[in-house]
Amino acid sequence: MLTVENLHAGYGTSEVLAGVSLQVKAGTVVALIGANGAGKTTGMRAISGMIRPNRGRVLLDGRPVQDLDASRVARLGMAHSPEGRKVFGPLTVEDNLLLGAYCRLPRFFGFRARAAADLEGIYALFPRLRERRQQAAGTLSGGEQQMLAIGRALMAKPKVMLLDEPSMGLAPVIVQEVFNTIRRLKEAGITLLLVEQFAKSALEVADYAYVMDRGRIAIEGTPAHLREDERVLAAYLG
Amino acid sequence: MYTLLIVQLAVSGALMGMVYALVAYGFQLTFATSKSINFGQGELVMLSALFSLTLIDTGLPYWLVVPGGMLFGAALGLFVERAGVRLALEQKSEGWILLTIILGLLGFSTAENIWGRDDRPFPTPIPSDPLHFFGIDVTPLELSVAVGVLTVMGLVELFKRKTLLGKAFEAVSADRDAAQLMGISATRTIQLSYGLSGLVAAMAGILVAPITTVGPTMASVLVLKAFSVAVVAGLDSGFGVVLVGLFLGALESLTSFYLGSGWREAPGLVLLILALAVRPNGVFGKATIRKV
Repeated sequence: MLTVENLHAGYGTSEVLAGVSLQVKAGTVVALIGANGAGKTTGMRAISGMIRPNRGRVLLDGRPVQDLDASRVARLGMAHSPEGRKVFGPLTVEDNLLLGAYCRLPRFFGFRARAAADLEGIYALFPRLRERRQQAAGTLSGGEQQMLAIGRALMAKPKVMLLDEPSMGLAPVIVQEVFNTIRRLKEAGITLLLVEQFAKSALEVADYAYVMDRGRIAIEGTPAHLREDERVLAAYLG
Repeated sequence: MYTLLIVQLAVSGALMGMVYALVAYGFQLTFATSKSINFGQGELVMLSALFSLTLIDTGLPYWLVVPGGMLFGAALGLFVERAGVRLALEQKSEGWILLTIILGLLGFSTAENIWGRDDRPFPTPIPSDPLHFFGIDVTPLELSVAVGVLTVMGLVELFKRKTLLGKAFEAVSADRDAAQLMGISATRTIQLSYGLSGLVAAMAGILVAPITTVGPTMASVLVLKAFSVAVVAGLDSGFGVVLVGLFLGALESLTSFYLGSGWREAPGLVLLILALAVRPNGVFGKATIRKV
């Protein structure tokens, strides 16, 4: 579904990604783990078009998208829930969710009716969001904002979803909740590329995983395989 | 009797202040999406008014001249975005400041060459015989300014709150990167904001023209005061500009009465300096809600 070939990217003259290749098959959850500064987030940003790669290819469903603007990549079916959640603070929870489905809703009138069933689905998954639907998203707690960011990405009905550090800055209880959510997404058959600092939990949900180190893929394999790899054990799973 | 005169002056001034509010609102629209404004907005107001005058000369009825002029303003706004602002924003530079000033000067020369330098009256079917409210005279013309301004602003706000495209506009204002990830094109949204900004600027020109007359210099001072209003109210204050506009209009009118008409332009500038020194986010500027 998503294929990344030899991706090079960075900011200005400093190259952060030095040739990353990875693959996310339809219906699978793939984890991208690695130390801080390894280039995980930059990788996500280069894949979704937030920054333009210097070299390499990104194929979404076989179609090269590495030269497209982020909004066009999104319209082709990639939903990127970015690091730091980035909900639209002044807008209501419901407006945030509606904007998640922007690509497939009418621009002027009747969009609410068209999105009603999907909204219902998101509210069933995250009942807290239903309670707070008319509240400004900026006033939600960190955990609620993360739920909203995931819900917003789901509203797009994406072919593939990129989820960057969903547990960042959250209390341990909430982190558990986030991983439960990811498990449910997996059961629902969502194709997911997950960046996580909690390598252990990430490997529990993933079908396949890549370990990044200094802008490259250092090791890859199934979670079972990685758990036995001494380098991974030493560096990330302690 | 004296008090009544003061109130009379304040009311007339305040109604004119609504025009500042509308032009200031135009500044807000583009600032929200792109953190840039068109420093040639005054020329845009003036060109739209002159274009509308030409439409009147061709014998078009007034109710068609208004939308015609507004569409012309929107087209000019789109042109400024395409020919100037976008080039600078693509390079993440502040070059839009210079580019919009240059486009404004170009607009000024164009106006002088096409329509000449003289100020001309702007005919309107709206009567200017005063109506009396509690001893105060208000002309329907002055009232039309207030009604026109509030109608246009109300419609744009309704668009922003009730349509998905409008919400996308708000999303780009809140977080441009995140909006792009929803499939919302920031470029198109900035374009839209410049179009809307041109539209409201043209409306300001059409509303004020019958009162001030029309000529190449008609809006050069007006736009400066609109800028003051925008900064004093806050560039993200929404309807805050209306209150500040009313206030500045009344203040100007009273200043020119007490100190002489030569001082008419002073309060706007003093207010601008005060605002920048004391409340750079504006009197009605929003504190950003953010939880990390």
